[in-house]
Amino acid sequence: MALVEDPYALLEKWLKAREFIVVGKGIERADAFDKAIGKARFVEDYFDKGVLFVKQVLSEEPHAILEGIDYSEALKIPKVVGVFTAQDIPGENQVGYALPDQPLLAEGKVRFHAEPIALVAAEDIDAAFEAVERVKVKYKPLPVILDPLEAMNRTDVLVHEENGSNIAFRTKVRKGNVEEGFAKSDVIVENEYRTHHQDHLYLETEGALAIPDFEGRITVITAAQYPHLAQSIVARVLGIPMSKVKIVIPYLGGGFGGKDDEGPLVAAKAALVAYKTGKPAFLMYTREESLRIHPKREATIIHYKSGATKDGKLMAIEVKIIHDTGAYTNRGPFILWRASVHASGPYYVPHAKVDGYCVYTNKFPQGSFRGFGNPSVQFAAEAQMDELAKKLGMDPVDFRLKNLLRPGQTTITNQLLDHSVGIAEAVEKLAKKMGWWEKRKAFTEYNKRSKRYKRGIGIGVAWHGISTSRGVPDWSNAYIKIDKDGSVTVYTGIMEMGQGSPNSSHRQIVAEVLGAPLDVIKIVFGTTDAPDTGATHASRGTSIGAIGVLVAAAKIRERLNKLAAELLNARPDDIVIANGKVYVRGNESKSMTWQELIKQAYARGVDVSATGYFFLPKGKFDDAKGQGYAYPAYSYVAVAVEVEVDTYTGRVRVLKAYPALAAGRIINPVQVEGQMEGAIAQGLGYVLMEQFVFDEKGRVLNADMTDYVVPTALDVPVVEKPVYVEDLFKYGPFGAKGVGEMALIPVPAAISNAVSHALGIRVTRLPLTPENVYFMIKKK
Amino acid sequence: MFYKLPRFNYYRVTSLNEALKLVNELEDFKVVAGGTDLVMDLKIKRYIPKNIIDISRVKELDYIVDEGDKIRIGALTRLQEIVDSPIIREKAYVLAEAVNQMASWQIRNMATIGGNLCNASPAADTAPPLYVLNAELKLVSVEGERIVPVTKFFHGPRKTELKKNELLAEIIIPVEKDAGASAIKLGRRNAFTLSIVAVATLVKVSDNKFADVRVALNSVAPTPVRAPSVEKALIGKEVSLEAVEEASKLVVNDIKPISDVRASADYRREMSIVLTRDSLLRSLERIGLKLGGEE
Amino acid sequence: MKISFTLNGRRVEVDVEPNEVLLDVLRLKLGVKSVRRGCERAECGACTVLLDGKPVYSCTILAPMVDGRTVETVDYLASNGELKPLVEAFVKVGAIQCGFCTPGFLLTAYSLLRRNPQPTVEEVKKAIEGNICRCTGYQKIIEAILLASKLYAEKRSERKEG
Repeated sequence: MALVEDPYALLEKWLKAREFIVVGKGIERADAFDKAIGKARFVEDYFDKGVLFVKQVLSEEPHAILEGIDYSEALKIPKVVGVFTAQDIPGENQVGYALPDQPLLAEGKVRFHAEPIALVAAEDIDAAFEAVERVKVKYKPLPVILDPLEAMNRTDVLVHEENGSNIAFRTKVRKGNVEEGFAKSDVIVENEYRTHHQDHLYLETEGALAIPDFEGRITVITAAQYPHLAQSIVARVLGIPMSKVKIVIPYLGGGFGGKDDEGPLVAAKAALVAYKTGKPAFLMYTREESLRIHPKREATIIHYKSGATKDGKLMAIEVKIIHDTGAYTNRGPFILWRASVHASGPYYVPHAKVDGYCVYTNKFPQGSFRGFGNPSVQFAAEAQMDELAKKLGMDPVDFRLKNLLRPGQTTITNQLLDHSVGIAEAVEKLAKKMGWWEKRKAFTEYNKRSKRYKRGIGIGVAWHGISTSRGVPDWSNAYIKIDKDGSVTVYTGIMEMGQGSPNSSHRQIVAEVLGAPLDVIKIVFGTTDAPDTGATHASRGTSIGAIGVLVAAAKIRERLNKLAAELLNARPDDIVIANGKVYVRGNESKSMTWQELIKQAYARGVDVSATGYFFLPKGKFDDAKGQGYAYPAYSYVAVAVEVEVDTYTGRVRVLKAYPALAAGRIINPVQVEGQMEGAIAQGLGYVLMEQFVFDEKGRVLNADMTDYVVPTALDVPVVEKPVYVEDLFKYGPFGAKGVGEMALIPVPAAISNAVSHALGIRVTRLPLTPENVYFMIKKK
Repeated sequence: MFYKLPRFNYYRVTSLNEALKLVNELEDFKVVAGGTDLVMDLKIKRYIPKNIIDISRVKELDYIVDEGDKIRIGALTRLQEIVDSPIIREKAYVLAEAVNQMASWQIRNMATIGGNLCNASPAADTAPPLYVLNAELKLVSVEGERIVPVTKFFHGPRKTELKKNELLAEIIIPVEKDAGASAIKLGRRNAFTLSIVAVATLVKVSDNKFADVRVALNSVAPTPVRAPSVEKALIGKEVSLEAVEEASKLVVNDIKPISDVRASADYRREMSIVLTRDSLLRSLERIGLKLGGEE
Repeated sequence: MKISFTLNGRRVEVDVEPNEVLLDVLRLKLGVKSVRRGCERAECGACTVLLDGKPVYSCTILAPMVDGRTVETVDYLASNGELKPLVEAFVKVGAIQCGFCTPGFLLTAYSLLRRNPQPTVEEVKKAIEGNICRCTGYQKIIEAILLASKLYAEKRSERKEG
């Protein structure tokens, strides 16, 4: 009998599993103990004596021609080893991810305040600080443009002259005929929404240590989210082959997308110094630099018109999305694409027209952040849903249930969703479990009696495409080897930033598929020594990253079953391997240990190593019309919250949050809860307190943790246990879809809808700081 | 590593006399007690002193003493000790209440009450309760000592009544009998944050009339302030919710808020009214007068 | 200048500049990596250490200020068994994600439980207000501290019985 090696067949086989050894259980993470006792190592922990200390020279102007950089005085400091500018880059200075518009170090002009211009390297920290002070940059200031609406309409001031416009990128979605859709609508709601920037505020700032190696090789220990991307950027900047660059990503003190953007750039800066000096070089952003430099969650202006019939069917949406992408597009076009194709929310809408604009301004770039363009557009979409429901005299949940996507329906890109669409069931279960209808009524009654404190309950429902959008290729990969003693090593490019996929779900999947005991499984993650697995972003660590892990493990398992069948004189299909015990189904006396089996494999010529490569099948997508196959699958989420507003001060307290998730198989419920709770807190911070304050020149006035405030333990609500609908995804490992970003996405919608319910005023603008809420009430 | 503190000479003293001699002799110095404010100010180069005098081990300034009609607090008493002190909780609860809303446990374990006052931030959170308690400060120097009311201590942001050779040694709090007092802080989050506005009030009532009213605020003027307009409007008046609400509105006459990254001047003005009202009601409640107003 | 203090049960002597902060002395001079640099502005709690048994931020303490005093970090309290119930609880309930803030939380929680062996949820929240966690949303951290409080109590009663 031929062994099954086809990944589709292997995925399908394991998708059918109904009984599990470790999958679905709250297994403790492999890294938790080391992290608890402080043994886990982060980038800065590798910095030691003898390593060059690198500091950045940052632009003092938001928009200016660079007329000269004079660092002769800096070089006079004895311990200063060198100063490096764009001129010194041996390869390419161009590091833009989506469009070739971004230099590693400013060249010709600067486009935002604090843009990196030069790198100073010194043998000690003090010398590096002093040298930065002595670098004299000559600027010829240009007019500054900060408002994206103004930027769109001006061509006399251009952030990028070569582009001829401040509109960097456009997207379009055209489904059906919106004129017809609105004509058939009985109610129409039209509003403009605004959302603001958010910083990731991972507790560990960006950093990298680059070590020049033998034979012109370079190793970079860096805080990035995709080792192979960091590898390619470093290689490009240095002008050397990727094979000469090795990336090691140790534990990360949080990522949330931010280190996917900035990680490769920090790595390249440290690598540049190491390459030019031949010495190990270390660069770490200060908190202030981190706040000023790295790309942020998009700030948006969203104009949204939607219509529905009187029996509560959504008919049409017309949406204009403007993203303030700042000085560079970074991943802006991808973010805008995601926002555009998700603009409807997870609802069936026959007629849709979406126009997206990614607009340059003289601010820090927009970038990847948990939700990736989606929290802002779901905020707008869900506000529209509440307003339509209000006009129709319907309950917000009832109205949603009439329109939520179900299997067999199409999205606004006209993609047919043939399976894995569990959101309607999830919302219904959630509403019943939390007593939505009763609470909504009770709060409305309470508000009639209460003058000062008003209570509200609101829901946000969202969807999020898994993997890259449209036809952009995506794949998974992993390499597994089993040593003679039975210990299993998995090599993956997925890294560990707290989300836990390598240290929880990957291990569980391997233990499940191989039947090896958990404690012999070791995951080597975040390294270019592993095959390119894609990035740890877009909630793909498990959903996509672990496909390769499952396929590799399944291939080995096929071989082991065949071997065990021979040894135990049974049929391969009857072999059970679980928790390190190998036996014949129904006859446990015919058995052997995992270690014996592996020993036999070595003795009998059975390969116990395998690569699990899987290329995600994708359909066609027409960029001009925004129609076609947008994502292989979608994860779905709903969060409902209860709030209390002190109308005298404007302070909003979120009392309780109720999440529901339709993200396929839940591999580790404890870790999933952790993701949900953390995402809700991060979303709450975004809505209630986090914001950047700029001056008239676009300088950030609150670039520290004193004035960029994030939630403490006293600010977060109780998060109830999530409601799960395991709507299995056929290519996901055991049917899993993405989780990490999910619960943040509907939080702006949920909180603002709850506040709107409490106050009877439609929230259209974030953040809901006490001050903003207070004046919103006062205006009414 | 990332914040380069200026170079300075470091002097450590263990007695008040040593400290006074040093402040008398040295030029261009800063005094460090808990360091939680000063070290930050050194990091951001607000100060670049030649000399640092570390008084954190002057044990003789670390005490809370109950003298019946007054409490004496050594200037080097840590904030957390104030929160935990049975004496303060019993006899000057409003101070413990305000201090418990300051910073975080880690900071309260280092920071001293004297440091918070001498740092003279417009947002000093120990000031409003001390203002309404009519606290006095003992300032000492090699030449002797003098007592000043806490309300005269602040001259402006980072500026105090202290002469170059003086140190703040003690905070003296007269114990108020039959008074209700409370402190409320509004920040951008529920914990560990600088005030947008903080208010403390103290009230005494006899024959259902306001016998004494004291209101103090921070973050709404270059220094913490008392609100005499509110106080005068209430003293002698019949206790009622309307009286409190009307009088609270007058607080805007006593403050000069600015706009900054934390809040706008308008919002601070409005919140000064709300917090004054809320604090007065809470203070009245603490002497058994519940007027409602929390509907 | 030379300072000497008790670090994790041992007397250490180290040459410092007066303008250095304890955080840098621990990380860069004494190799204590479990004390983390998060904000350097006394805002995040990642650099928490115990100074004479009380949690403080090592980023705001001038090195000479610890001369003659006692500093403890997570490594030590974990190795001598003092933290065992807390470590167990944090691991078990899933209170650890990226782990960067965890040592700071453990030290604060440890001090809390010594002061107040059976804290309420509100007391736990108040105690950890100065430790920022950006990953977990705090819920599981609070749960872990409450569980640890039980585990410590069990340990104490075992000791009594034994």
